[in-house]
Parts: sequence; C-alpha cells; structure tokens
Amino acid sequence: MADPSLFWLAGAVLLVTAGVATSLLPHRRAHAEQRRTAWSAARAAIDSAAVSRDAAPGRVPEAERLLTRAESLAGRRGGVDAARAAAEHARQADRLWREHR
Amino acid sequence: MTAGRYRRLAEPLRWALLGLAVLVLVVFLVAQRQQGIDVSYGRSPASTAGVDTDGTGTSDRATVPSVDEMTALVAAAPVVRLPGSVAYWNEQRVREVAGDTRILVAPPGLDKDERERVRDVENATIRVIGTEVSGGFYQASSDRLPAWRAQFATGDVTDLLIALITTLRKESTPADRDELRWREPSGPELNTVLTDLRATGRHIAPGATLTDVPETAARNAFPDGAWYVALPVQRYGEPLPRYGPALSARFPDQPIVVMYGLWIEYHGPGAADFAELAGASFYGQFANLLSRTDYPQRNVLGVYLDRVTDIRYAGLFERPLPYRPADPLRVALPALPWLFAGCVAAFMVLSARSLRRPEGRPGSRRDTAPTRLAGLTALAVEVSLLTDARSNPALTRGIVKLQAARSAWEEKLPARHVRTLLDEAAAELDDTARQVGIASYRPDNYLRGRLS
Repeated sequence: MADPSLFWLAGAVLLVTAGVATSLLPHRRAHAEQRRTAWSAARAAIDSAAVSRDAAPGRVPEAERLLTRAESLAGRRGGVDAARAAAEHARQADRLWREHR
Repeated sequence: MTAGRYRRLAEPLRWALLGLAVLVLVVFLVAQRQQGIDVSYGRSPASTAGVDTDGTGTSDRATVPSVDEMTALVAAAPVVRLPGSVAYWNEQRVREVAGDTRILVAPPGLDKDERERVRDVENATIRVIGTEVSGGFYQASSDRLPAWRAQFATGDVTDLLIALITTLRKESTPADRDELRWREPSGPELNTVLTDLRATGRHIAPGATLTDVPETAARNAFPDGAWYVALPVQRYGEPLPRYGPALSARFPDQPIVVMYGLWIEYHGPGAADFAELAGASFYGQFANLLSRTDYPQRNVLGVYLDRVTDIRYAGLFERPLPYRPADPLRVALPALPWLFAGCVAAFMVLSARSLRRPEGRPGSRRDTAPTRLAGLTALAVEVSLLTDARSNPALTRGIVKLQAARSAWEEKLPARHVRTLLDEAAAELDDTARQVGIASYRPDNYLRGRLS
C-alpha cells in the first residue's frame, strides 16, 4: 500500500461525495419533478381556457388579458412559482369566459 | 414484505456505517498523534537520559582560588590539597615513583571555568579534580571493577596516580594493587541496618546523600522490590563494612543494593548473572563523569537502576520479562484502515441503492390511471357523436384534460397529479353528459358499466 494517509483521504473524500450525492440528488430530482408537474398543470389550465375562449359568445378583455399573461409566463418557462401563477391566471380566465355566456 | 423490511433497515444501517467510519477515522487520527515513530518489541522502559544534573545537592558549590594563588601554593609544596578535596592515595607507593612530581588536588563539582583555572596552573605536574587524575595531555582512568570500587567508595586514586606519573616519565607502569580492605559489620551495626530495612526497605546512614529511591526506576529494575543501603564515602584506609554478603546470607531471596559513596553494589538473587555486567557497563560509561562531579547518590542510583532494567529487558540472562498487557488500540490499529474502507464501501452501496429511481410508482398494480384514462377516452369518443354547440366546449375541455393526463402519465409525473387531471376531465365529461341528458354517459355510471 502506498501511503496510509492517502488511503484515509480517499476514504474521506468518497464519504463526503456519497453524502453530498445522496442528499443533493434526490432533492434536485424532486425539485425538477415538482416543476414539471406544475407546468403540466399550468398547460392543461391554459389549453382549457383557450377552449372556453373559443366557445365564448363575445370578447372578455379581462379574461384575454389574464390568458395572455399566463401564456407569456409559460413562454418564458420559469420555475414552480411562475407555473403556479400561470395556472392561476388561466383558471381565472377560464372561469370568466364560462360565466360570460 | 421482506423487501419493505429490508428498505426500512437499510437507512439506519447506512447512517450507522457512516458514524462508525467517522469514529474509526477519529480514532486513527488521535492514535496517529499519540503514536511515536519507533516501534520495538520488548523495549526497556528505562529512561535513556544520563545522570540527572538537577539538584546536585551541594548547597555550597566547591570553588578554587585564583590561578596565581594556586601556582604559588604548588611552588611552595609538592602536594597541595585545596579545601573540599576527596582524593586520597597511598603516599608511600606514590613517593616511590614520584620524583619531583607536583600534585594539585581540587574538590569535585567544579564548573567548567574553575576546571580550566585548575588546568592553567602550569607548575602542577598532576591535577586531581575530585578523583579525576590528569596531567600533561593524559588522563588516567580505570577499567576494572576493583579500581572503580576503590575510586568511588573511598576516593582512592593511588593506581591512577602511579599509572599517570610513570607514563609521564616514560617508565613502565607497575601492576595495579587492590588495597581495599573489608570487615564484617558488627552486630549492632547490622541490627540498625536491618531495623531500617524491615521498616522502610531502605537504610540511609548519616552522611549519605541519598534522599529517596527513584520510584519508577526502582520498580522497573526490581519489580518485586529491593532493599537499599546507602552509606557515605568511606574513609580512605579503613576497611569497608561488608553489608551486602552479610544481609544476603540472612535473606537470600531479597535483592539488596548497597551504596558506598558513588559505588553501587548488587547482592541477592541473580547477582552472579548480572551484577558485574551492570557495574562494569555503568562505571565504564559514567566513571569519568562521576569522578569529577559530586552528584547526590539519588541521581546516580537512578541511572544505575535504569542500566539494570536495560540488562533485564535485553533478555541476556533469560530473566522473565515483566508482563506488559497488550494495548488494544495498538493491536487494532492495523485493522482500522480496512474497517474504515469497509464502512465507506457499504455506505457507498447503500447510498447508491437509495439514489436509484424508485420503481413502480406509475405502472404498478395499484396504479389505476391507465384504466381510467382508457375508459374516459372511450366515453369521450362515444359522447362526441351526441354533442351539440352547447355541450361541445365542455367535451373539448374534457378531451384537453385527458390529453394532459395522458402526457403526464407518460412523463411519469406523480400519480396524484395524473389523478387530479383525470378528475378534472371527468368533471368536464360529467357536465357534457348532463347537458346531453343521458345519465348512463356520466363518467361514474359509464366506468362502472365498463368494469362490470
């Protein structure tokens, strides 16, 4: 064996690496999943709102404004918070168009 | 079932292994700091330091007059004894070889400058500092036990003087003559010593400079304990009381150390094995130092006991070594790196296990999403034949939600999210069915009908 201290150093480095990996990776993975989930929900809400808009008998400027903002948020592809905001805007717009008839 | 228990066990085990690895690492590092560089088997615990020069004991240090005064003294008399001198010799034997030799005798324990001053007295042929005899470029020294005994027990330097004088005069040196005489100690003397030894294990005669026996050195040298008899330097020319053999005769199993001044003798079990060797190696190394200094007996005894310990540990005489229990840390030390490596490896494996993408969330037996998705899609297709402008938007929204649910399921997003989207789609289709007015197309009824 070369140098015992190298042995210990390598072991310690491995330990730290394993510790960091096991605590960081699941965290990041969960974060990414959360983000994709939020955007999935947001896109569903936006599509649903678009259907409601096409079906609505007249124009609803408030709803159009909300949907535009939701679409622009979706176009920028932000984080979880942006996705939640976009979904909330889209749902509001959807409700406005449905109530309009 | 077993897999579940295994997974529950794996996590605490992982952290336990990490803790163990860290503990091992810490133990190793601490041991590194404590561990000396050299490792040896059966090393003697004796201190390797020389004579302890601290507390030399003489409160009034010996001094000598100035060089001029000493030169004048030497010019006036062939033999000059400065105050505090301890060296004596057989004057008749010396006179036979001396001629016009002039001898300056100085006390022991002089410091370096004072010794220089004594050496600077140029008209003195021979200088005796303590019992160190030198002259010209020469210094006389003994190499036999009787000579050292005479020198350190009584301050007898006869043989040294004769050897040095004849060497300086380029004459042949006569053979050494051991003039030390012994006598049996008287009954009262022996009784006094025995009383002290029985009480405390040591007898310190008036005038002896032994204050106490060095504990550690004594325990190492004589694990079963020994008796110590300390006598002052004996008067030159008088016979020495032979305490060692007298005490040994009465207590044959008792190790006894007898000191006459700086002369140390051992009597008792094993004396024939090592007493001479210990004495010879001790005085062979330290005679020069001891002859010109006046260390107290305690310091000298400590070094002698260390030497005895060294000889015991050298195993020269098959004396059993004292038992030394194995240090568990030292025994475990070679295994620690492997233990550490094992812990690291196990921790890595368990960590990798926990990193693996958890299987069977979507697509497991409990996942009802595909069935529901298929049922709702079929319902949407069937109901699409019946819808009109009023109910179309709800149907379209339902289909949009179904598509979102399907892509979410395909992307393996959380089952809860897929279920939410399916719920929304079902709500839209429920609206559609109510608007169309056919109760059997309501999702709950339809799906129940499909399943049965």
